[in-house]
Amino acid sequence: MSDRPLFSPRNPWFSISVGVTAGIAVLSAIVGLVWLPLVQPNVKFSGLWDAICSAAGVPRAAVRDASLKPEFKTSGVVMTPQMLAGADQVSIGRGATLAQRCAICHGPQGVSDANSPNLAGQFAAVTYKELNDFKSGARASVVMVPFAAAMSDRDMKDVAAYYAYLPRVPSNNLDVGRPAPAIVVTGAPMRNIPPCGSCHGDIDNKAGSPWLGGQSAVYIKAQLEAFASGTRRNDISEQMRNIARQMTAEEIDQAAHFYEAQP
Amino acid sequence: MATETDHGPGEAVAARIERRWATLSIVIVALLVGMAAVIGIHRATMPQARVETADPKTLHLSGEFIESNLGSAVEPDGSVTVRAIGQQYSFTPQCIVVPAETPITIRATSADVVHGFLIEGTNINTMLVPGYVSDLPVRFSAPGEHVMPCQEFCGIGHQGMWGKVKVVDRTAFLNMTAAKRRLTCAD
Ligand SMILES: [Cu+2]
Repeated sequence: MSDRPLFSPRNPWFSISVGVTAGIAVLSAIVGLVWLPLVQPNVKFSGLWDAICSAAGVPRAAVRDASLKPEFKTSGVVMTPQMLAGADQVSIGRGATLAQRCAICHGPQGVSDANSPNLAGQFAAVTYKELNDFKSGARASVVMVPFAAAMSDRDMKDVAAYYAYLPRVPSNNLDVGRPAPAIVVTGAPMRNIPPCGSCHGDIDNKAGSPWLGGQSAVYIKAQLEAFASGTRRNDISEQMRNIARQMTAEEIDQAAHFYEAQP
Repeated sequence: MATETDHGPGEAVAARIERRWATLSIVIVALLVGMAAVIGIHRATMPQARVETADPKTLHLSGEFIESNLGSAVEPDGSVTVRAIGQQYSFTPQCIVVPAETPITIRATSADVVHGFLIEGTNINTMLVPGYVSDLPVRFSAPGEHVMPCQEFCGIGHQGMWGKVKVVDRTAFLNMTAAKRRLTCAD
């Protein structure tokens, strides 16, 4: 016994066990890669090889094109959490020059008492995205569209970098003692309203969501109402419309006045 | 060589035991393969037949997940395809409307992080993984309303991410499609 080689086809134990194992493997492969895919009721495969590749999990791009095109302009900006981070001095300096024409409404320091948004300290991604949307027509504004139309991509990045670099200045309505309303702190989960701060920067920032502290209540309210009614639609994939349309008029009012009083 | 005859009976016993163990393990493997086949055919598990990819950053620019194409669409064969996305912190459409007693294909993906897609009161439960399309065939037996909470922690606003599914009568659904080609019950 001991002088016969163990791993040899002449050893019946070896040949039978290897044969049976290989047989089970082949059979299981046929079951898993061919039979099971082919009995799926709702998938059509172009052939045997297609079925095998699909079952093995070979990824392929979802090629189906949208059969229904939008009848209005949607935002064309690609947002990522890292975008426009780390602007250099050249960009900020160039932005400062360009921003002179913005001062009439947005204030020389990016803060004004007109009901236009305060831009000082705003996230760069926000200013950049909105300028893009004004230019493309995804967001309507009689005042802003002509300004944005004349700006290059570089201009928008520089202006955004400049305003992000300016320090936030508390508005005249600052009142840090004002109690936060429930809609801001906890939202209304069953109505699909998360706390405002989970995107707008108080707790976390979702790329493209603006810092709201110190903005005019009139402006915040007008935007929430525009999102709710669908007159403003440049939020990507309805991310803000979904929330605004669930808010009551009273909640919109509370949130707007709360944020106006914040730094 | 003399020792071989001495070990004769012992060797036969060992061979018999080896054969039994081998048979037992083959039976176990065959049983497991058989179980996988049975649940695959009877759809007790719903493995996805294909792995499809979609770039989460550009879902809103082109392809089947652009805003105007989201919602429920009637296919030429009478079935319904529902397209949806999950994002921090809502599903779009926020309210999905589907007909009862109709084969439905749900196609959904995520625009940012992993979200969960779960329809209460049914066995529909999958993940929406950024980069991949979740495709699942479903059927609702009766009209009614279901909540659709995100069931994968997706960020600090996760608990506020609730959608809704409204199952309506088939004829009522088809009447709605006369006015619009993509149906939702949001707003
Ligand atoms: Cu989620």
